Amino acid sequence: MEPVTECILLAAGEGKRMRPLTTSRPKVMIPLANRPMLEHLILAGKEAGIQRFIIVVGYGEQAIREYFGDGSRIGVEIDYVVQRKQLGTADALRSAEGLVSGNFLMMNGDMLLSADEIAEFCRMPIPALAVSETDHPEDYGVVLLEGDRVVNLEEKSKNPKSRLINAGAYLFSLEIFERIQMIGLSRRGEYELTDALMGYINEGSLFAFCLRSWMDVGYPWDILAAHELFLDALQAENLGTVEEGVVIKGTVAIGEGTIIRSGSYIEGPCIIGKDCIVGPHAYIRPRTSIGDMCHIGNAVEIKNSVILNKTKIPHFNYIGDSVIGSGCNFGAGTKIANLRHDYTVVHVGGIRTGRKKFGAVIGDNVLFGINCSVNTGSLIGSGCRIAPHSFVDGVYDDETIISR
Amino acid sequence: MCGIVGYIGRRQAARIIIDGLKKLEYRGYDSFGLATLNGDISLAKKGGRISDAGSNTAGLSGRIGIGHTRWATHGIPNDQNAHPHLDCTGKIAVVHNGIIENYAELRRDLTARGHTFRSDTDTEVISHLVEEHFQGDLSSAVAEVLPLLEGSYAILVIAEGDDRIIAARKASPLVIGIGDRELFCASDVTPLIDHTRRVIYLDDGDCAVLSCSGCLITTGGEQVSRPVEEVDWDIMDARKGGFAHYMQKEIFEQPQVFYNTVHAVRESPEALAYFVGSRMSLMIVACGSSYHAALLYKYLIESYCDIPVRVEIGSEFKYYAPPLTVPVIGITQSGETADTLAALKMAKAWGCPTIAITNVVGSSVTRIADATIYTRAGPEMSVAATKSFIAQLAAGLQITAFLSDNTALEMELNRVNIMIEDTLTIEVEDAVALCCTAQSIFFIGRGLYYPVALEGALKMKEISYIHAEGYAAGELKHGPFALLSPDTPVIALAMPGKTYPVMISNIKEIKARGAPVIGIGIAGDSELPEIVDLFIPLPPCNEVAGIAMASVMLQRLAYYVADGLGCDIDKPRNLAKSVTVE
Repeated sequence: MEPVTECILLAAGEGKRMRPLTTSRPKVMIPLANRPMLEHLILAGKEAGIQRFIIVVGYGEQAIREYFGDGSRIGVEIDYVVQRKQLGTADALRSAEGLVSGNFLMMNGDMLLSADEIAEFCRMPIPALAVSETDHPEDYGVVLLEGDRVVNLEEKSKNPKSRLINAGAYLFSLEIFERIQMIGLSRRGEYELTDALMGYINEGSLFAFCLRSWMDVGYPWDILAAHELFLDALQAENLGTVEEGVVIKGTVAIGEGTIIRSGSYIEGPCIIGKDCIVGPHAYIRPRTSIGDMCHIGNAVEIKNSVILNKTKIPHFNYIGDSVIGSGCNFGAGTKIANLRHDYTVVHVGGIRTGRKKFGAVIGDNVLFGINCSVNTGSLIGSGCRIAPHSFVDGVYDDETIISR
Repeated sequence: MCGIVGYIGRRQAARIIIDGLKKLEYRGYDSFGLATLNGDISLAKKGGRISDAGSNTAGLSGRIGIGHTRWATHGIPNDQNAHPHLDCTGKIAVVHNGIIENYAELRRDLTARGHTFRSDTDTEVISHLVEEHFQGDLSSAVAEVLPLLEGSYAILVIAEGDDRIIAARKASPLVIGIGDRELFCASDVTPLIDHTRRVIYLDDGDCAVLSCSGCLITTGGEQVSRPVEEVDWDIMDARKGGFAHYMQKEIFEQPQVFYNTVHAVRESPEALAYFVGSRMSLMIVACGSSYHAALLYKYLIESYCDIPVRVEIGSEFKYYAPPLTVPVIGITQSGETADTLAALKMAKAWGCPTIAITNVVGSSVTRIADATIYTRAGPEMSVAATKSFIAQLAAGLQITAFLSDNTALEMELNRVNIMIEDTLTIEVEDAVALCCTAQSIFFIGRGLYYPVALEGALKMKEISYIHAEGYAAGELKHGPFALLSPDTPVIALAMPGKTYPVMISNIKEIKARGAPVIGIGIAGDSELPEIVDLFIPLPPCNEVAGIAMASVMLQRLAYYVADGLGCDIDKPRNLAKSVTVE
């Protein structure tokens, strides 16, 4: 059998659960260790032998097209198709008709998967569905297997009959395009791939492949666990300037044009992007990703956090276990709490994060006045402006003005 | 008005074209069809709405295709007259939006040269002309044919043995969408935006060749480059082409509609001849907004042509049962208004010549009447009539000019579309705010502006649900004065002309009773703004343009008031677009 070399990536959705980080970018462009999620997936696919990717874009398509271009920068061939409205997976696949030439892989663009597993999956008989075991199957539709074949798909229920869920990766032959033409609108008002899969299941021809490395990055706090994966595999490098009197421990990657000023103390694993200014006297603790063109100033401590591009955290700030968007500015003395005094798991807007230590989710272009206190579990929408000395707690929509 | 869609690329064309045509249904929906190219041309077309016909694309394979949703102008809506139209050999297919004005002559010549026509459309001449010029290169064949066509067109042409779509436009819209290894073209961007944001708006006279390797645009034989523009999806989500409601969109189409109708009526000498036959007197029957147009016809024809005109409401006509011999004219947008149809049938039974003025080709009224004059408003989706009223007015003015042989008036009509356009941007915010709080509004005018006031009141009440009354200004003191209070705004039409001085005294009388007055007059008027609470100035104009502008202004006022009050503007409660029962 010919090896599978073509892959359709579904990346048209906003990823609403990731708000406010999706205000100005689609979910797949959220960086993990300073690389968009989608790039990690494409690079893993490339390593597994995929040469050509067709990305189905929609929400924020310009950001994806501009970042990846024709793919030559990362050594692959990339084509794009547009799915403008979220009319289901079958509709997304239909928009890519005519661009794949033989058996192909299809994956959700927001999943994380290792190259080895992609390669292994691509050697499965066709058609095949990737599944993953979870300890909370009640949150998903589940997949029932007999041997290596899928025998049924069940909708989300309180008493799921299986712990295996559809992981969102498929192997198909071109024949799938004929099948999806027949699909009608579902009760949810979408063209669902499940309808075509049920056809294969009834013929007894749908194979299942169980993933081990699959990870669901659904909510902003899941970013912390996901970026850790990549930080743990990080290679140390220094393309910038490190002044005298800087202490660097563990694996730290420093980008081009970045200056680490004297007196800073950096503990890896940690990645700092291009053209940043860090210090003097900044303290950066393990599992921190700092994007490009950031400023981390004097007497600032950052721990286990993700900071996106062009954010300034310049004077006397503490940021712990938080995800901060791009273009934010922290007033002097503004801090984020990351631990409850009852030591219970932090919830954000009523949703359980699963983490006892969690700070806040801050959108893009949020401006803090001096000496603001952000409580643990807060979520601040993009473009919010916060008055000096404010106590911020809870969930705020984009563009909210928060005064004392 | 019709809608066209074309596709060339990597996917099966039929489904994309059908989905696209559904989005263009507002441009026409009396029949539809499509042709795909897969070695041979496969054709499917039929009468009726595409959205009722489903999406069956069986038998239409191919990655190149063209489609059309029709609003009849030449030939009644049926399967044969639906586009695409093939040549004699069945190897060339054409879809067309617009009107080929010299088609009768072209058709005669083509028939003489042995071509067989299958339809009554103007479009089919293009298929046969391309057939005559086609020698293996479709783009040069089309380029040779275009100079032979007079009138307006946006066309798409495909042919067996040529894997391209040739697109051309003159005075009809056409947009190209640049997708990912696929190209689209359509009458407007709505069918394109599901697939791409990148579009090229073709200029008049442009001819584009769409192929798998891209899009080449020429104008007058010279290659040109047109800018690729990015469509803002959020704005397009309004779907009605950037407008919040069909009514708003149709209000904005009125300059074009006025122009198209004046020209179409000029070119209907056979129907106009029916008016000339009877210079003694005329009878007009109509309902709703068409009745108000009929009242304007009365004022116009009586004053310009010295022909007495009697106007009756369709549903009342039968109770008078006058022994008539004069020509009877029925005005109905849809051509299906039951009361107007019944009146025309009665008149016909008495032996009167009957003339229909309608917007829908092939509608019932056209089969009853001896002659038909078409308004060219295109499909009107909003229940509240706007552009069909302006089209009826345009037809009436052109008929008046014809009957009175008044070339000055005819010249004047060429400029009215520009005047209407100026009216579309005049600020009405304060007047809207005042009307939004009212329980009752009076509209008053004299002479020609009396029917305009009646129509303005009808628009206001039907979409904003505010009680509105149109009155002849002189009648107000015979009763309705009792209702005036500071809570009942009065909208007064005080345009220049012989009614102006009396209108001014009427307005003063109203002001003396404490009612707020919104005065609609002419910019530069120094007296009117002094006595009214709010003054809406229209650009200086003559009487003819004045009625059109004042009518459009009152439509806009009703629209914004209804919008401000959150009403369902396109589908007002209890109303239907076409009233087919008595």
